Amino acid sequence: MKDLKHLYYFEKLLEDANNELVRRAQADGDICVGNTCYQLPEVLMDLPGTFTVRLRAPKTVSMDMGTYYMTSMLCDYSRALLERAIEGGYNFLDCLMTPDGCTMINRCVENMELLKVNEKEKFFYKYLEVPLKADDNGLTLLVSECRKKILGGLKEGYGIDTSDVALRKAVEKHNEICRIITEIGNFRKDDIPRISGYEFHIICMVSFVCPKYLIIDKLRETLEELKIREPDKKFQYRTRVVVVGSEVDDVDMIKLIESSGAYVCADRFCFGSLPGRQEIILNDKEDVLTQICRHYMLDCMCPRHMDTPKMNHRREYVDEIAKEYKADGIIYQQLQFCDPWAYERMIGAHVLHDEYNYPVLTIDRPYSVGVSGLLKTRVQAFVESIEIKKIQGEKK
Amino acid sequence: MGKAIGSEKLGKLFNGKARCRKRREWRGFRDTWYDYTRWVKIIWMLSKFMMHPKNVKGFFRYRWMVNYLAVPMMIDKHSFGLRGNHLRICREEYDLIADDVAKLLTMIFSADQNLGAKPKDSAHIILVDENEMTNVLCGFPTLQGLSWETASSYVCCLLKGDSAAHYLDVVQQMGLPGDVCPMPATEAGVCIDDDMPILGKCAVQCNTTCDGSLLGNGVISRKLKAHGIPVFQLAVPMRHTEEGVQEYAAQEIRNAVKFIEEQTGAKWDWNAYFECAKRINIGARECSEWLEMTKTDYPQVIGNNILLYRETEYMAIAGKVPAFAETDLKITKLATESYKRKEMLAKEYRHRAVIWGVQSQFYTDVLAWMLNCWGILPMFDMLTMIALDPISENDKEQAFYDMAHQYENMIMRNRTHGGYEVLLDDLWRYCAEYRADMVILWEHIHCKALNGMHGMFEQQARKRGIHLVWVNHDLFDPRIIPRASLRQDVNRYMRSVLCEEPLDPSLEEIDDTNNW
Repeated sequence: MKDLKHLYYFEKLLEDANNELVRRAQADGDICVGNTCYQLPEVLMDLPGTFTVRLRAPKTVSMDMGTYYMTSMLCDYSRALLERAIEGGYNFLDCLMTPDGCTMINRCVENMELLKVNEKEKFFYKYLEVPLKADDNGLTLLVSECRKKILGGLKEGYGIDTSDVALRKAVEKHNEICRIITEIGNFRKDDIPRISGYEFHIICMVSFVCPKYLIIDKLRETLEELKIREPDKKFQYRTRVVVVGSEVDDVDMIKLIESSGAYVCADRFCFGSLPGRQEIILNDKEDVLTQICRHYMLDCMCPRHMDTPKMNHRREYVDEIAKEYKADGIIYQQLQFCDPWAYERMIGAHVLHDEYNYPVLTIDRPYSVGVSGLLKTRVQAFVESIEIKKIQGEKK
Repeated sequence: MGKAIGSEKLGKLFNGKARCRKRREWRGFRDTWYDYTRWVKIIWMLSKFMMHPKNVKGFFRYRWMVNYLAVPMMIDKHSFGLRGNHLRICREEYDLIADDVAKLLTMIFSADQNLGAKPKDSAHIILVDENEMTNVLCGFPTLQGLSWETASSYVCCLLKGDSAAHYLDVVQQMGLPGDVCPMPATEAGVCIDDDMPILGKCAVQCNTTCDGSLLGNGVISRKLKAHGIPVFQLAVPMRHTEEGVQEYAAQEIRNAVKFIEEQTGAKWDWNAYFECAKRINIGARECSEWLEMTKTDYPQVIGNNILLYRETEYMAIAGKVPAFAETDLKITKLATESYKRKEMLAKEYRHRAVIWGVQSQFYTDVLAWMLNCWGILPMFDMLTMIALDPISENDKEQAFYDMAHQYENMIMRNRTHGGYEVLLDDLWRYCAEYRADMVILWEHIHCKALNGMHGMFEQQARKRGIHLVWVNHDLFDPRIIPRASLRQDVNRYMRSVLCEEPLDPSLEEIDDTNNW
């Protein structure tokens, strides 16, 4: 296939948390809100006059300082973020919001606060209590926390307009991004897709880490380009997989899987589009904030949602997308030392294998996989096992 | 060896080969005789327990039951070096716990479908998590809340250090990484290994201590569901010190009560609840009294002997068993007598230590060793400082907030969640309040919430001039870090940093490799 026109540009944007577009937006006077998790409604931090970036620590090598403060037993993502923060890599942020979701990210941000890594005068941290169950009580909590801490914080700290009109405007913009990403993502359902999993991952990620209004033109252009992009004559991969699990913001991860012969047809992980890039449908009857919060609460696939219906739904959802995107197998991956995904990976892998009959590979991985030979070998072996099963199935 | 405290070289009692110590400790005639009679009483209790046919069945059905043979030794471990009233306080506490656990096991086996019981036999039983408060059952006097995890995992590890090893292997074979907390992992292992008793009309699970605990419940709830036992997940806020989450927490309690009513047909009884509330307040008041003594030069109820008793009382009992409130008063009486006589628990106190972090479950008596070997006075553990505030004894609306508060501040999670203030700032506040010059900081290597503040502990202790002694362990798994290594962490600090000589040199290096 011909290279996508803006792919290199997108890749460059992902090389630095404080990328070119972030700098440009701040120069325009916009407030940059750092966030760490899907469970904070992204759209509330993308109001007129603000934009949000999900924190990443690209090109992480040493995590010595992060390890000193949090030991080597905490997940690489949290240590990498702390390391980068201590190095000054997030000094561009105007505030940082985080849910008290997983313990490790929470501790990471608390360390940043205690170490006073950001010296901007008006800088503030907000920790949000987010629901552990998708029910009415949880929704009431989320609405109240978002109103008080996200909207209240931005209004008090920076005089941001947090009216319903502003929220609706933000949702509109958000939805436009979601429509584009979803349309691009839908090409992955084709038998011979016109976009690789890697390319999609890059495109999706830039939408999480750049001011949306500055990236939307290029995303739109990329969509148009894809509509007329000629796919390969023959499917270049040996099998199709859904990648499920904890956060993947490492550009090499999907590349590694695809270079091992498995096309990543769906991305059910944090920093992925399933969920993450679904439109928020608003009605005129109910309070806007409540509708936004409900969307995030119901769509959330984080394993820390502990109620039985949500737990079951997580596995049903993987099955649904595997069917929709025609996957042959599932890769459950987790960041090393991530407790929530450690359990979800174990249970999910067994359920998807035993009850839904999918071949499943489970892996735990470092934050930066680079060109891990070990991981590559495991994916290659998985691809072969799927192929062998297919051949055996055909013989029967 | 004799009546006087510290008169015997305690290291001589250890023999690396045996499960028990070489012989019983000689404490002078009166105390030795007292201790012996209480030991016989425990043996009698175990024999009586085994006379129940269901218990015999349970003993042979479940691999983890064999650990209960070590009950007498477990109490002996915690009465190490004690004399007089301190010995009596220790015995009062542990004997009551042992009695309570025996009742728990009998109740489990009587209703266990694996042992032939029918679902109707457990129509009055509500399952709760191991680290979960049980206050929500205080208003249901006809129902019984119990935790099979306490019986199969928690107590077993106290009794026999390596009791969890098999279940950890099982769960890791299923694909769980070895870096999660071994406590919920063990429970999941018991469940996967089909060693989980099947009983209960319904279950109320809770996000207790950590992410691992929360997620481990997912394994168990699948099993319960497969046996037709409905589960309610009680979600307790993480940032429990904030005003904004209290209504959410109280509503969760109301929802849990409603769930139990719907499942069992029982009705919430305010009289029963407030009766329990009164006893909860007695426990809190008496414990506060003991802690007041601890602030002085003559602490009386300290270390794990206060902790293991109090955690049973505030968590599993929650005012439902009158015997605990009675024992509280007895302990206060004994402690007050000793306080007036200025009695000490070791011949010398060199350091006043606050014990912080998550203690090693397989070596809880290490505090007694520290006291006798190095004169480190373990004043209280992090997990003791829970449920000390009085709750309402008559206000029905306030009661939901009180229960919510107890759940939010349940064991460990009152420090592991709620922001760094409750973990760091409170520690330094306690150090000042109790005049501590040392902090023994358990570093449970897989406890992410504690380890996440590792560097901050170091920096802030240094700033305050407090001796911070890291003691590494793996909570349930002595294969990763053995008991001797915990002692080495302390020995190293005492010799290399403080340049001190031990109070009892025979204890510095002991061989307890094979001890229960």
